[in-house]
Amino acid sequence: MAKNNTADKITSDLLRSIRLNWSFKIWFAFLGAALLVCLGAYGLQLKNGMVVTGLGDYVSWGMYISNFVFFVATSLIGMLISAVLGLSGQKWAAPLTRIAEIIALAFAAVAGLVIVMDMGRPERLLNVFIHGRIQSPILWDVTVITIYMVISALFLYIPLIPDLKICSEKLDVPPFVKNIYKILSLNWAGTSEQKKLIEQSTRVIAIFIIPVALAIHTVTSWLFANTSRVGWDSTIFGPYFVTGAFVSGTAAVIIAMYFFRKNYKLEDYITEKHFDMIGKLLVLVSLVYLYFNLNEYMVAGYKMKEFEAILIRDLFSGNHAVLFWSVQLFGLVLPIILLLFKKMRKPLPMLVIGIMVLIGAWFKRFIIVVPTMEHPYLPIQNVPMNWKIYTPTLIETLVTIAPMIMVLLIITVLAKLVPIVPISETLEQLETTEENKK
Amino acid sequence: MSEKNEKPKKRTRREFLQDIGLVGVGTLIGGSAIFAGINYDKKKNAAERVRVLTAENELLEIDKSEASKVVKPNLENLTYLQKQGREGLPGKRFVMVIDLSKCRNARKCMAACNEAHHLRPEQHHINVLKMQDSKNTPAYYMPKPCQHCDNPPCTAVCPVDATFKRADGIVLIDNERCIGCRFCIAACPYSARVFNWAEPIHSLEDEGKTYNVELNVPQKKGTISKCLFSADRVREGKLPYCVSACPNGVYYFGDENEDAVTNGTTKETVRFRKLLEDNGGYTLMPELGTHPRVYYLPPKGKEYPFQDKDKEEAGERLES
Amino acid sequence: MYTRNFRILILAVVSVFLMQSFAQNNWNVPADKKAKNSYIKFDAASARQGEAIYNKNCASCHGNPGKGNSLKSLKPIPPDLSSKGTQALTDGELSYILITGRMIMPSFKNVLSEEDRWKVISYIRSFNKNYVQLLSKFDPNKAKLVKVSMSYDPKTKQVKVDVKANEKSGVVSLKNTEIALFVSRYFGKLQIEKNQITNTDGQAVFNFPKDLPGDKTGTVELVVKLNDENYGEIESATKLKIAVPTEKPGLTDDRAIWNVLAKAPFWIIILYSAGVLAFIAVLLYLVMTLNKIRKSGAKK
Repeated sequence: MAKNNTADKITSDLLRSIRLNWSFKIWFAFLGAALLVCLGAYGLQLKNGMVVTGLGDYVSWGMYISNFVFFVATSLIGMLISAVLGLSGQKWAAPLTRIAEIIALAFAAVAGLVIVMDMGRPERLLNVFIHGRIQSPILWDVTVITIYMVISALFLYIPLIPDLKICSEKLDVPPFVKNIYKILSLNWAGTSEQKKLIEQSTRVIAIFIIPVALAIHTVTSWLFANTSRVGWDSTIFGPYFVTGAFVSGTAAVIIAMYFFRKNYKLEDYITEKHFDMIGKLLVLVSLVYLYFNLNEYMVAGYKMKEFEAILIRDLFSGNHAVLFWSVQLFGLVLPIILLLFKKMRKPLPMLVIGIMVLIGAWFKRFIIVVPTMEHPYLPIQNVPMNWKIYTPTLIETLVTIAPMIMVLLIITVLAKLVPIVPISETLEQLETTEENKK
Repeated sequence: MSEKNEKPKKRTRREFLQDIGLVGVGTLIGGSAIFAGINYDKKKNAAERVRVLTAENELLEIDKSEASKVVKPNLENLTYLQKQGREGLPGKRFVMVIDLSKCRNARKCMAACNEAHHLRPEQHHINVLKMQDSKNTPAYYMPKPCQHCDNPPCTAVCPVDATFKRADGIVLIDNERCIGCRFCIAACPYSARVFNWAEPIHSLEDEGKTYNVELNVPQKKGTISKCLFSADRVREGKLPYCVSACPNGVYYFGDENEDAVTNGTTKETVRFRKLLEDNGGYTLMPELGTHPRVYYLPPKGKEYPFQDKDKEEAGERLES
Repeated sequence: MYTRNFRILILAVVSVFLMQSFAQNNWNVPADKKAKNSYIKFDAASARQGEAIYNKNCASCHGNPGKGNSLKSLKPIPPDLSSKGTQALTDGELSYILITGRMIMPSFKNVLSEEDRWKVISYIRSFNKNYVQLLSKFDPNKAKLVKVSMSYDPKTKQVKVDVKANEKSGVVSLKNTEIALFVSRYFGKLQIEKNQITNTDGQAVFNFPKDLPGDKTGTVELVVKLNDENYGEIESATKLKIAVPTEKPGLTDDRAIWNVLAKAPFWIIILYSAGVLAFIAVLLYLVMTLNKIRKSGAKK
């Protein structure tokens, strides 16, 4: 009897978030309005050409591409939390899997749009499919991001099937919505055969998504490493990008955890222990990333080869020094040190650290993309002054913000459609603990 | 305009449909590439000779290239120009030699180029750089066109085959296909490529003109432009615009297969390899393995002094 | 103040004048070349044609005659060609300067034909009201009488050039005439050895290089050029199969990363296709499993 009560409570607790209240409507309207403004800026870019940006013939990749790398990076977290932790038997991460998958799906879906926003001729996008050359890393990127998106969507959907059944039964929504939930729940009856099938397919995805996720960011790193440009021409760019991705993704999950927990009153399900554990995870991935940073800059800075030296001086003590050192200190070193203390691994300090790491992660991409473009092999001469040092414009900034808003919108909407913490898994865990007690 | 504004809204759905298509297309591309590649050489050999019936009722077998000469070319047809532009001139391997000892930064090359290709003043297919390699070495002027590499990094990364290398060595760009991703700019170690950030300056007068891939005119907003070795002039047997505009005898241009290059100023023709041998010819950044088709003769015994006013800019990147 | 400026002005004018005459007096034109005159009459029409040639080839350094806009950054400064110094030169001297060039002035030997050179001089003279032309009596039509024949001796690897004129009085050999042999290349003519002087039989012999590429069959077009006192400028071409047969493949024949899709390297095609196929396999498996879940639930 008591068990049923707890189960009912859990179900109603976790379903509580699925309803349209005022705060949601205001938040949604705010995002929508902001998105419209940003899309207006993009309209200007379409009309007048990319001259509205701060880009030039030398720094021809700037904020948009940094943004793209950031988006791809952050989307990798789905793989880390759901697949790697899941497969290695880290049970504590189970309630976070759906958050991670939603983040992965949202960032991956929007990453494609970011790259379209960087194109001079977006209306010719179809040329990539008509005239695609498989020798180009861009084609690999398009292919592998699409694959990752489809797989992430399935990774979100398949474990969701039992919850969709619960939604169709328990939610107080109009009949047609109930029907949609019902159709999507694929006649779920909770039979052992069905459970087995779900378990099998989830395992297949969890295994398959690992190489795919590694591929999306490795391929993205090859957009740079496959050129002979100073600062990009590096053999460790693949793992360097992948480990960096785990840092920014973990930070994104921490931020999302905090807000979902607070807004949806999920304190019983996303506990302080979860924050503690994911805080430790962030320290781990940050340390690995720090190690790759050391490799990347130490080797170049030691030799000071002619053109690399120009770039290194620019980063360490030149134009980009403030940004470079801020990113390394506030985005990496300081969070590692702070998170070593248990007190810091509580929800609120973690939120602050998460935001710090995420901002640092964004600027880290900027630091990888822009300074290299400012320092080509041959001198920059006979061109306007503002082509030598890149300064983004307001329109460009707005267009850069647009995909961020889209990600928030997608996360917001998905979180309103499905329970953010898996219900059936929580119930199952409850059963196992009950049985253990007996 | 209104159509353009609607695009972002529709994109998600369109993208989704494309995603489904992509999977199929990806396999198709992979499969057909293997197939096409295998059949490529077969087809080429089979198609090289064609039979024609002459006016005298004689049946002749002639070279395909000969036959295409008989067919009157339609110079107003975009598809014809694109096809012709991709094929290049058979049997040729074009090379340029730049004699740095003769350059005095007159910039007639840059002006002629910008005029021919309808470029903005800050867009350079060819750029005369003020160079200084290290603290105690002398400064010199270095004209830098596209190097038309035999291992072109720009062409390697192009996702849509908009930029391509021809059999005669010239690297061109088809701005009717370019999607404006600018990967080629990022990949080019010689900074040889420019982008049309805004509406090109000649877009009004060029309206309605058929795009010539060998001249890259009309220029198009949102696409790449670059040095073309004046492929349109070269087709007519004329020297490139920059080469013939130089008043100082800096440029030689010719065909490596003929072992001859012609000076643009004096029109004197010399043996290509002998010119390099006698003057210590070299290529830019050979360590990158790009194999440029542009060769340089060192600035030894400069005929014009380096201007004092340019010294600062030349030495800008040197460690003091 | 006034006088000082005036003095500077005078000094400047004098020094420019001195520099110009210094530069021009140093050409050392041989007497016979100096006495050469144009066979083209200098009139408004020839000056107009000469102007077009001048603007294309000379104006970038010499500026427009009379405007004083020659390029001052050069050393020596190219003279304004309407100036007294230039106009004091004979037509023959001007022609010689155009042919040879000197220091920073390039040679126009290969750029301008004799006719073009006279037209440019005609244009330069149009700025001199006192100029009176000495017209050469030379008849350019006489060039048509000349016949050039070429033969190749594979043993000695030499090209023999024979120049004869079919006069009414009989065949005349052009002796003691300077002749040049060229091979046609795509953009210009490549000279073979130095200029030679014909012997008494009107013949000259050139050593042909062993390593010069020809077309597929080794054929090249040989061009003989000469400028005879009596017969004027003569150019004659013959095709001979004497060079190295050359047929290089196109640069796009091999499979390469940078080549078109049909010419992609095998490894990249295999890797890419394998990746896409693996995805399709996983996707099919997942769709089938989902279908199984649906069917299994429907049974109940």
